[in-house]
Amino acid sequence: MKTIQTEVPEQLYKKALALVKEGWFRDEKDVFTEAIRRFLDTHRPELMEKFIRDDVEWGLHGHD
Amino acid sequence: MTKSALKIVCDSGPIIHLDELNCLHLLEDFQEALIADAVQKEVKRYRPLSLSKLNMPFVFSPGNVPNDTRLLTLCHIFSLDAGEMEALSLMERHPQAIFLTDDASARMVAEQLGFRVHGTIGILVRSIRRNQMEPGEVLRILRGVPSQSTLYIKPSLLDEVILKIKKEYNL
Repeated sequence: MKTIQTEVPEQLYKKALALVKEGWFRDEKDVFTEAIRRFLDTHRPELMEKFIRDDVEWGLHGHD
Repeated sequence: MTKSALKIVCDSGPIIHLDELNCLHLLEDFQEALIADAVQKEVKRYRPLSLSKLNMPFVFSPGNVPNDTRLLTLCHIFSLDAGEMEALSLMERHPQAIFLTDDASARMVAEQLGFRVHGTIGILVRSIRRNQMEPGEVLRILRGVPSQSTLYIKPSLLDEVILKIKKEYNL
């Protein structure tokens, strides 16, 4: 595991803490790890590149 | 050239990015640009004057959460924000429209549901085909994307896009 230090908005932190207090996560570290994992899942480089290439194709050769 | 018959549903990203690039007028080509409440609020926070520009086909719509359970679930799974959810709710009511977003998660959800989705880069490139801008002008704007907008695009991919346009138009 890698330890990082960062700043997050107060409201975001409070929301993470609330999830922990309600018992959904063991601690806030788990909340942020899960959040980053989900972000990385949906921001895979090949996927973002595909979106841009699709856009260019539509831009150049679309039929609208 | 006459206006396209297409409607678009806007997420905040493309409006903000096009405005940063002084290209918001490209949306004039569409019949209607539907904007949900939460999207309107977000855009106003970052670009207060962008939505008050004249001749724009903006149609402001009340914000709703999606009716479709599958869509709502996907929105939560992908942690979409209020604007993206309200925009997708508009797409439910206007499935023939194009959803404009630069957010990868929102785009994934929308494509999963079979909606047509494009982003800022698509609108810029399309402007050549629609005779809204000359290829050279679009290339100049694309080169300015990293310094003049908050749209992030990997430099090598931007170079590839520029090269493709140059080849397409023999520049």
